[in-house]
Amino acid sequence: MFAVETEALGRIYKVKKTRKEAAHTLVALDNVNLSVNHGELFGLLGPNGAGKTTLIKVLTTLLAPSSGFARVNGLDVARQPEEIRRQINMVSGGETSGYGLLTVRENLWMFTQFYGIPSRQANARIMELLKIVGLEDRANTKSSNLSTGLRQKMNIVRGFMTDPTVLFLDEPTLGLDVGAARDVRRFVRQWVDDDPTRTLLLTTHYMVEAEEMCDRVAIINQGKILACDTPQNLKQSLRSEGVYSLQVSALDEKDFEELKGIAGFRQGTLRQVESGAELELVLSDDSVLAGLLGFLTAKGSRITTLHKREASLEDVFISLVGKSMKDVENGAAD
Amino acid sequence: MALQTKVTRNSGARLFLQSVIGRAYPRVIGTQRDLSWLFFDIFLPFLTMVGYVYIYRALKAPEEYIGFVVLGSAMTAYWINILWSMSSQLYWEKETGNLALYVMSPTSLMAILFGMASGGLFSTTIRALVILVVGNLLFQVSYTITSFWALFLVFVLTMVALYGMGMMLSSLFLLFNREAWHSANLLQAPVMLFSGFYFPVSAFNFWVAAAASIVPLTLGMDAIRQLVFPSTALLGFLSVKLELIILAILSVLFLAAAFLTLRRMERLAIKHGKITDRLD
Amino acid sequence: MSSAETTPNSEAKPGSLLTFRTSAWLGWMIESNWTDPFIFAIYSIIRPISTAAILIVMYLVIRGGDFGSADFVNLYIGNAFFILVGAAIQGVSFGILDDREHYRTLKYIYIAPLQVPVYLIGRSVASILVACFSVLITLGFGIIFLKMPIALAEVKWGLFAAAFVLGMAVMICLGLMLGSWTLIIKNNAWSLGESLGAGLLIFSGAVFPLSVLPVPLQWVGSALPISYWLTLIRRALVPEIGRAYPMYTNLSDLQLILILLGFTLVYAILAALIYKRFDYIARERGNIDMVSNY
Repeated sequence: MFAVETEALGRIYKVKKTRKEAAHTLVALDNVNLSVNHGELFGLLGPNGAGKTTLIKVLTTLLAPSSGFARVNGLDVARQPEEIRRQINMVSGGETSGYGLLTVRENLWMFTQFYGIPSRQANARIMELLKIVGLEDRANTKSSNLSTGLRQKMNIVRGFMTDPTVLFLDEPTLGLDVGAARDVRRFVRQWVDDDPTRTLLLTTHYMVEAEEMCDRVAIINQGKILACDTPQNLKQSLRSEGVYSLQVSALDEKDFEELKGIAGFRQGTLRQVESGAELELVLSDDSVLAGLLGFLTAKGSRITTLHKREASLEDVFISLVGKSMKDVENGAAD
Repeated sequence: MALQTKVTRNSGARLFLQSVIGRAYPRVIGTQRDLSWLFFDIFLPFLTMVGYVYIYRALKAPEEYIGFVVLGSAMTAYWINILWSMSSQLYWEKETGNLALYVMSPTSLMAILFGMASGGLFSTTIRALVILVVGNLLFQVSYTITSFWALFLVFVLTMVALYGMGMMLSSLFLLFNREAWHSANLLQAPVMLFSGFYFPVSAFNFWVAAAASIVPLTLGMDAIRQLVFPSTALLGFLSVKLELIILAILSVLFLAAAFLTLRRMERLAIKHGKITDRLD
Repeated sequence: MSSAETTPNSEAKPGSLLTFRTSAWLGWMIESNWTDPFIFAIYSIIRPISTAAILIVMYLVIRGGDFGSADFVNLYIGNAFFILVGAAIQGVSFGILDDREHYRTLKYIYIAPLQVPVYLIGRSVASILVACFSVLITLGFGIIFLKMPIALAEVKWGLFAAAFVLGMAVMICLGLMLGSWTLIIKNNAWSLGESLGAGLLIFSGAVFPLSVLPVPLQWVGSALPISYWLTLIRRALVPEIGRAYPMYTNLSDLQLILILLGFTLVYAILAALIYKRFDYIARERGNIDMVSNY
């Protein structure tokens, strides 16, 4: 039995007719097949609008699937939501839950009551967790007076304090500063490591978060799972290929399209910068580089910097989708 | 970093009770920490009552009608509480993200709504009492309670039925977004009209009054008026005994309906993705 | 497109008219787009009729069905136009609350180079327009179904126009004065407009003449512009009946207009000062982007 399992999971939204648009459907999840083992810290990586949050909502029984199945600890999300709710919890990035008039401690205590935790145990657990996340001295501060980062820490305590066996974190470090985000990542990793019965599913669009924290990562785009493996294996899938970062004096879109036609070119992105243009390229092997450099020279483009680097999850994403995550998000915005 | 404190979990009736207390807590604490409700929920409605009293004075109405206004204004507090602090409250909870957390937790939405109702009952009752007491003193309204126990029973049954209705409305509003707010706005005045907050409901023809009786406050206020203004018993719609029976039936019906519709609407809301969307 | 064509002039700021137009458009989009136009129309009809109906039934119970009497006509007209008072206050206060708590855009409005009071007034226009529609519906209901003696041929349109415009100006100032209080209130502020409007009913002469009140309360009523405005509206719509209403019978129409004009000027200054004060307090307390709810 898996901690989390989906089988041909689909979710479609029906968008109503408006003055500017006809009625249409939006496919948020498309034939998603995933299995997360017990004790695993599993990452779901993808750009904004990829379907990560929709998947979390289905798994946390907030949204029914349109097709297929999803199970948490062997329980069906559509048929057995009450049983699932006893075993899970969720924290979203940028949450504004709770009540501004209540203090941190009071807000957290209130949520423990919805899980049936006796008050004495709840208060002790709350204080312990507040100490761990560094919010102990703010226990009696009204939550409306907290900054975004401190509020998110409170939210994180809310997620962990009920001892879920499966915890869902949806962009948990959103809005946190570098130090706070690092603390949260460390805490999350340790929480999973401390008890093999705990499972954590994390969604993020930060590569570093997925690489550093997760045992396995699924890459998702436009509702589809494109790849699923350990971060190391995903990067190694590009090992036979060469990943290069170049800075050139000038290269326009037209020439870049032509460059893509060079044999051995796999994927790449072009970004215009003040000093010229930056290219991130995935080539089939190092030998392609010579031809590529020759092409650039012929186009009158001078190479300023060139280095080969280890593949990152961003490169894996580019190799699967053909664009960077940022370009996908910008494309969606357009 | 293993957590040192161990936690256990209650379920069943204990979980229900804990959830009710948990959700009532912000309401009760709110009345102490933010005292603006004294102005908005007591003083201003009190002024509204005074306005209606002077309308009757200008029309040279019998003095009992002043008593009707004072009584009706006190009961208005409960209707307003039902509409705005219960029925459409889930819309606000959706806005802040609390609704998703409630649905996702092991407790039931019914417990959450009970908690909201209980917490709101405190400030609502204070509002009703202030209007009643000060209104009576100011306008020298005199009551003659013919049966205290009947009065108590009418009040309790009216509240149970009313809050059951409020929970049922909440479940319907679960599917709404901004429409919830507008629906509550739309319901406010017509119910005050047809339930006879400021005049006996017998002013309407039998069928209109009968239809209005689906709102528990209609029969509740009619019975209370007959019990505290016995000289106006002829203005009553039905006998107190019959109204008590109907209120008891309504209590059971609305609580059962609330239980069933909450479950159904929650499932529908989950199916249509209404638990978390903030779209208007 | 060259960058010169797309680079905004950093020194430019929108004029008041543009701000007003944009915020009025925004207010209308928000006010009207929560449902389809048919349901919106039904909603805009049912609400004012049911409020008026409470008064109608109260009158019916005490005085019988004489809806043609001067007392009833004056009460009905006063109640109908009083809708605008609540709408003006609610429009401003709700604009602040909606933008602050629901859409979370108030902070962005604040840091934009525009006149916030003008924005708030524009934002309230939709609410006032819907209220005007409600007034028309209420009057129409009274004429058609209650056979109230309001004849279009007898209406003094010039007086009505002057009274209406001045009245709206003073209501908007009142709305800004009271609505800007919302900047520093949490929670209960959602009902500020309606609650305050209902509270002002006593002192407005809308549904009974001020002479019914104890003398100190009459003074309060006389210190507010609403009673003068409603008296003018009555005299314009139903000249004979309006003149017979026992309020300000010793004042001519012109005198009432001048009093209302005076109130408008005073309220405009007060509104500016009060808004400035609440604005300062709100910024000092960090209330511009607060989110509250329990």
